[in-house]
Amino acid sequence: MKQRSEKILLALLVIISITGYITSCTHENQVLPPPATNTPVINRGSGVFLPGTLTVGDTSQWKFDQVHCSVLWSGNYLGAAGLLTGRFNAFGISSISTAQKMQYVTSGQPLKDTSWAFYENDPTKTYFNGYVQMNTSNTGEPGRDGGCYLGYVSAPKIISGTQNLIDSNIAVIKTTQVVLDPNSPGYIVTMVLTWKGLLAAPHDTTINGTLSYVKRETVGAGTASAYDVFGLQLNFTFNCRSFGMTTTEISDAITVQCNMNFNNK
Amino acid sequence: MGNNFFVYVQQLEMLAFFSGYPLIYFLIRFLTHNVTLKNGWEARIVSILPFAYALIGSLYLGLQLKNLYPDYTIVNIKYRFQQTYLNIWAVMSILFWIPAISKKQVLSILHSLIFFFLVLRDLFFQFAGFSQNRDILKNDMRIYTVSIFLNLAAVTVLALLSFLLSFRKKSQHHDTATGDPSWLGMTMPGKKTTESDAKTDSMQIKVTYPHDNSQLYL
Repeated sequence: MKQRSEKILLALLVIISITGYITSCTHENQVLPPPATNTPVINRGSGVFLPGTLTVGDTSQWKFDQVHCSVLWSGNYLGAAGLLTGRFNAFGISSISTAQKMQYVTSGQPLKDTSWAFYENDPTKTYFNGYVQMNTSNTGEPGRDGGCYLGYVSAPKIISGTQNLIDSNIAVIKTTQVVLDPNSPGYIVTMVLTWKGLLAAPHDTTINGTLSYVKRETVGAGTASAYDVFGLQLNFTFNCRSFGMTTTEISDAITVQCNMNFNNK
Repeated sequence: MGNNFFVYVQQLEMLAFFSGYPLIYFLIRFLTHNVTLKNGWEARIVSILPFAYALIGSLYLGLQLKNLYPDYTIVNIKYRFQQTYLNIWAVMSILFWIPAISKKQVLSILHSLIFFFLVLRDLFFQFAGFSQNRDILKNDMRIYTVSIFLNLAAVTVLALLSFLLSFRKKSQHHDTATGDPSWLGMTMPGKKTTESDAKTDSMQIKVTYPHDNSQLYL
């Protein structure tokens, strides 16, 4: 009888032990198999996004959602310390012809934001023409933005209710080539930056940047007011000394980030 | 377990020493019931189980003394022994060195079950969903495995010691009966240990006593 009880107890202990081992087994320490390749796996869709004529309600035409976009700049304060940052309040995606370089009395966009195209899988057809109004820089310090800053970049003062697209107030980018980035899902963009700065005439400089695509999503899916959005982010850096800027308040290199959102409402 | 990490580590220490004993105890008893060894060795192995447990307890006490070193004050002991009753209970395992206590083998299993229940408790908490952290049980099972091997090693060491002592006793008994004094370091005629011995071995018997290396020629 005693031996039988001992057998039962032994069996019980063995069962408890096995249960403990099985329950505690999480496989967390298992070594993962090595990746099949070191090359990043990039899956690009075949989306094509064009502005068309900006017809409201035409979901095949993509509208630049300027109020939800931004053009941010940053540079090292005094060329040595942390970042000094700001944004441009007025900008657009449009090429500006010589005839269009003038002042527009309007609070909205002075030109239609239609000078762009984005092909997700065919970057040879992708292009952008964009601009910023230099006198609308906003660093959060109105005294600086409407004061010494304007002298540093040689931009005219803001005239209320007027969009100023004259040469001395605009910096323009125009892409010349967009290629697929082999190391990321993004793109490498070659563009020409045109800005007069403190020079006698507008100066062109060719720079490279990176473009990333934020995938198309549906907002308010399942409702009558559903619409789609997608985003693009362009990053590049340029040397402000190329444009005659001499102030030591900021570093030579200025980094610009353009966050562009589009919808098909 | 409590929220104190120090307490948890102490508890793991106790599990490492004592939680594997019940399984080893019942396993060895089961095996000895079903295997017949020469000269009643199965009974002897079973009888050393409480001593093996006492050995584990001594090792645990040693670890605690090492942890306390060099401050053996009451304040430090109180600070170190966060789970006072459990710590005292663990140290009490050295009482199984006393033959009168170790005779009652069931006491050793009852003593060690307290620590096994700590593993069982964490297992229950995991199953009942009181604990979402599987790492606690994982730790317990790792320590439990170590404990099983530690207890097995303790039993093995004591069994070997017991076997060696028994063998020596037997050979002593055998030598006394047959007159072979080799275990005393005696040199018998014909056994040449040195050149000088070789010269005289036909006439003399040299006896060397191991306790003081004194020699006697017969």
